[in-house]
Amino acid sequence: MRILTAVILFALWLVLSATYDPAHVIVGAVVSALVAWLNPALPHMRRLSWFAALAYQPWLFGRILKSGLHVSRLILDPKLPISPELVRHKTKFTRDGELVALGNSITLTPGTITVEVAPGELVVHAIDEESRKDLLDGSFEAKIAGVFAATEGER
Amino acid sequence: MSWLGIALIVIGLFFLVVGSIGMLRLPDVFSRAHALSVTDSLGALFVLLGLAVYEGFNTNFLRIIVVLGLIYLLNPVIAHATVRAAYRSGLRPGKGDDQ
Repeated sequence: MRILTAVILFALWLVLSATYDPAHVIVGAVVSALVAWLNPALPHMRRLSWFAALAYQPWLFGRILKSGLHVSRLILDPKLPISPELVRHKTKFTRDGELVALGNSITLTPGTITVEVAPGELVVHAIDEESRKDLLDGSFEAKIAGVFAATEGER
Repeated sequence: MSWLGIALIVIGLFFLVVGSIGMLRLPDVFSRAHALSVTDSLGALFVLLGLAVYEGFNTNFLRIIVVLGLIYLLNPVIAHATVRAAYRSGLRPGKGDDQ
């Protein structure tokens, strides 16, 4: 697992430095290996469903685009028809990875933003009724559960 | 290809402007955070995507994609930290900043 971390870090180094003389490449390789060796391996990572994680991105982008246009319309509306409210959002997720994925997705989507996170419950601020409904339909949970499906039973 | 890039940048600029207007019009820190997420999720996305397309496929293209990935990971964290700090210091939505 740490080898994979080192490889990813090294790839990032190559992209960001974009100088390919031996000195830079060797420094990059040594530093990547050192960082991967010093840090504990990320839990869950090896059991993620990478395909589901990849498929989740375009879906999430669709949601972001849709609600982004909705929030833009709200902002540009002369009457400013917002009804902001804090919502307690129950979730079946209790582990860090799932909560981070869910909280980040909710915040990334315009119109909803995660205020507090606890296992099993999120406090979410929604800007209007439609954003609230989008949150409640549970499709975020369904998709993220698919990504973490392989880690089930590792509690 | 350069026209596609320019078109994407203009779309991004539109969302950046909308986000800024929202920052001015919306009443409190929570709803302003929504304007911010329009700026970052859509504005920055389209501007950077436009730059990437304009640049063509080379190392700068890859760098821009890495920046985009980082924005999508980090921006929600910052927005969340901000509103959580507001929430914990007693601010509640719908009352304006000077409740």
